[in-house]
Amino acid sequence: MKLLLGLILGAAFGAVIQLSGASSYSKITNALRLKDLTIMKLILTAIGVGLIGVHLLDALGLANMKVKDLYLPGLVVAGLIFGVGFAVTGYCPGTALAAAAEGKPDAWATVLGGLLGALVFAFMFPDLETYLLSFGRYGPVTIHGSFGIQGLLLAAPLGALCLWLAAKLPAGGGAR
Amino acid sequence: MKKQGTTMATRDAVEPMIPWWAGGLGIGVVLILAVALVQPIGVSTQYVVLDRVLLHRMLADVAAQSPYLVDTAGGWTLLNFEFFFVIGIPIGAFLASLATKRFSTRLVPVEWARRFGPIPGRRLVWSFIGGFILLFGARFGGGCTSGHMISGVSQLAVSSLIFSAALFVSAIMTARWLYGDWGKR
Repeated sequence: MKLLLGLILGAAFGAVIQLSGASSYSKITNALRLKDLTIMKLILTAIGVGLIGVHLLDALGLANMKVKDLYLPGLVVAGLIFGVGFAVTGYCPGTALAAAAEGKPDAWATVLGGLLGALVFAFMFPDLETYLLSFGRYGPVTIHGSFGIQGLLLAAPLGALCLWLAAKLPAGGGAR
Repeated sequence: MKKQGTTMATRDAVEPMIPWWAGGLGIGVVLILAVALVQPIGVSTQYVVLDRVLLHRMLADVAAQSPYLVDTAGGWTLLNFEFFFVIGIPIGAFLASLATKRFSTRLVPVEWARRFGPIPGRRLVWSFIGGFILLFGARFGGGCTSGHMISGVSQLAVSSLIFSAALFVSAIMTARWLYGDWGKR
């Protein structure tokens, strides 16, 4: 049952990514070049809806939360590395799968490169853990948790802010 | 709805079929359903899961040497919610591209060709290298655009906010440098 549910939710996710242009190399790179902010508006909307919906569920005791550990400075380094790959390929790990299924050969290359990158990381992990990931660990910290308040109190206004920003950002972008 | 050609350097079928707000709403609703029914969504872990199962099939003793591969979820199996979610993504995208007649085998995107030339091999090699960097970074950070930016930020996770901020700073700087936007004023 869970497998079927995963497949259906994944297919819905893939279809939305495809139909909204998020799997398009052109849309992504133009968003990163700040020439076309459609994708930024889309991500802000997704986060805005997610913030409000997830924390509403959580307030009702219905959410299955899974917060990732905070470790500094490893996370910053990781984000910087990821960003380079994102800009070069124009895909992220999920949209590469969608673009590959739309027939794009460069997305296939990205997926294959990704499988190798993940494998190399797996074998480098013991060393990276020793030198980079072992200090500055804080566990699964959330903003509302560190203030000791109900998540919805923060998520509702922040979610509204994201949705407002999404509506206000110019689609065309402001870059010269 | 124009049919896309399959010439070497073509423009992506960029014009979205649904507006940004519908796309964002759709992704948000998928996340909410996943959180309500099973757990938040994520993609990049499944690259490791597939590596792990493939390596275990081919070279079981090599796979067993990596504590990271052994530890990533239980068993050497692909039969779980997360993996099936990730398998669903290409299925949904494939059907959506067929339904809207936007399936296309363009190899070199036009923006890439304008900067780096229309050579297919160059685009493929850099896509492979870029994919390597992408997943290396994602595993390093413990998540990607889905797991950190969509799921993590929605949960107000501090780790996800930091990863997402670093990701965007790096991606925007890299993209503007790659495509020569810094010089143009």
